[in-house]
Amino acid sequence: MTKLLEVKNLHTRFKVRNGYLYAVNGVSFTLDKGEMLGVVGESGCGKSVSMMSLIRLLPPAAQITEGEVLLEGQDLAKASASEINTVRGSKVGMIFQDPMTSLNPFMKIGAQLCEGIMYHKKMSRAEAMKQAAKYLDLVGISNSEHRLHEYPHQLSGGMRQRVMIAMALLGEPELVIADEPTTALDVTIQAQIVELVKELREKLNMSIIWITHDLSLLAGMVDRIMVMYGGSVVEEAPIDEIYKNPRHPYTIGLLKSIPSINTVAGSRLPSIAGAPPNLFVEPQSCPFAPRCAYRQERCTREIPPLEPVADDSAHPKHRIACWVDVTKVNAEPKEGSVL
Amino acid sequence: MTDNTLELQQEEKQFSLAKDAFDRLIANKLALVGMLLVVFLFFIAIFGPYITPYDFLSQDLMARNQAPSWAHWFGTDDLGRDIMSRVIYGARTAVIVAFSTTFLSLIIGIFMGSLGGYFGGKVDGFIVWLIDITMSVPSLLLVIVINVSMKPRLVNWMDEQFLLTGNEFYRNTILVDFVLVFGSLALIKWPKAARIIRGQIMSVRNKNYVLAAEAIGVPTTKIVMKYVIPNSIGPIIVYISAALGEAMVFESSFSFLGVGVRPPIPSWGNMISDGLRVWQLYPHILAAPAAVLALVTIAFSFLGDGLNDALNPRQWK
Repeated sequence: MTKLLEVKNLHTRFKVRNGYLYAVNGVSFTLDKGEMLGVVGESGCGKSVSMMSLIRLLPPAAQITEGEVLLEGQDLAKASASEINTVRGSKVGMIFQDPMTSLNPFMKIGAQLCEGIMYHKKMSRAEAMKQAAKYLDLVGISNSEHRLHEYPHQLSGGMRQRVMIAMALLGEPELVIADEPTTALDVTIQAQIVELVKELREKLNMSIIWITHDLSLLAGMVDRIMVMYGGSVVEEAPIDEIYKNPRHPYTIGLLKSIPSINTVAGSRLPSIAGAPPNLFVEPQSCPFAPRCAYRQERCTREIPPLEPVADDSAHPKHRIACWVDVTKVNAEPKEGSVL
Repeated sequence: MTDNTLELQQEEKQFSLAKDAFDRLIANKLALVGMLLVVFLFFIAIFGPYITPYDFLSQDLMARNQAPSWAHWFGTDDLGRDIMSRVIYGARTAVIVAFSTTFLSLIIGIFMGSLGGYFGGKVDGFIVWLIDITMSVPSLLLVIVINVSMKPRLVNWMDEQFLLTGNEFYRNTILVDFVLVFGSLALIKWPKAARIIRGQIMSVRNKNYVLAAEAIGVPTTKIVMKYVIPNSIGPIIVYISAALGEAMVFESSFSFLGVGVRPPIPSWGNMISDGLRVWQLYPHILAAPAAVLALVTIAFSFLGDGLNDALNPRQWK
């Protein structure tokens, strides 16, 4: 498969009152054409910020300090404002978390959908509207011609998310970044949206990055999973590998804390003790070390690089950032850590 | 349910937000009264000179200080001028001043407010500082100072221009009064507009739909025109309504004190001032302009409240 996107050593930080917040600290990954990647991590681990950094959709206080984002050879981290504007919507589409607030209440659905492509593809309003109707049909909105002339408040949450998906797809992008698109929806609608995205991916053959904090949602949907913690990637592997053979202590903890059908009613759910790392200081060691049950002396001194696992011939494409081989060392409760 | 009724329901749902807001405004009785009065005021201000029974300047010394009658509905003043004609012409003065002031203060306010709201940081700090300083200056004092210091110079300058160019335009020194009144009023009133616009831009700028529009590559100018401004317009419309009423009261107070529009051009303010001297003998000379001023102020305040309710999405039922 051909490579679509290559991210190398991406660093993003936010300027705050007295210093910086180091949100993304050296994220590297690649994405093939047509591949679907799941990005998992707890709130504030930098998963959204790192993906938003790809198309520089960041608040003014944020800056990308280092790294390259190569989309088909074009470095988006260094592209000019107008170049990045062309990429947004025509090469990369975004689906947002909260469909209820992501549509302008003062504009009709049709007008909002068309705004981007009229600009990118120099389409006339009528052509753009036709295209918009086509994509509304595609995302499963019936009576699309009629819907184009409605305002956002006349649609339900699930419908609005479908509209948002249509909006992201309208420019026929090669990459779609979905930032927790189902978090604000109830479970049945969530399932519908997941099905829809799977279906669209097959029809349109695009690459998707799906950001979520819900590991169980990704099962059966994505090809590969990237686990993030404290602004860096801690583990990356094909989906079956992650579920069957997790190697990073944080991933192990995450998987243990998913409630399963076998969980005894009334028992406590396992959790990872401790608090998320302080990102106001530039990390000098493994960010997970303070909460890690496998912690060794080295973990508190050096940042582990993201490298293939030791027995990589048996587990291709599996990379972790950890000094410890969890298959050989036993977990023992450390001060401040319980697993 | 048949297809027909379904279709009908969907048709009913087709309404625009502006029409919806207008319907809500009409439903509010006080706001409706306010709006009708304001519309009537504008009508009078525009067509006044064509409907007044008498010229506002023509004196009839045989009919001085007359009480209201069929010939002079509001009576006549100490020079025998028809008070109703003068009140109607005063509406024109009030509306001209109110509109120019509000327009000017909005322009300055939009410029300063969007600058601060959009760029933030040091620019914003400077603008907030400027707003605070301007708001802390007593408005009456500022107007008097501007009037006293600027007026002679402006009049001199206009005289010179007339001598140089011979253009009739420069002989009209009444213009100086107007320019000074709304110029200085705009200087006082812009901070309020700037504050509202700054706050609106700051909040709308961080809305998800602006981010979503950025994500599909909508150009910045379009984002401002179609996303930011329509969503910030509600409070600005309310501000305009309040500011128009306020400007009329300000104009009247300044004219009352003799630093605004001066006689013989009628303004409700200088008419009240004239009436005050003789109110014990001829109360109608004072009563007519005062009552009209009070009515107009109340009308604008009703309309402003109504607009505020109608345009605030939280009030929607």
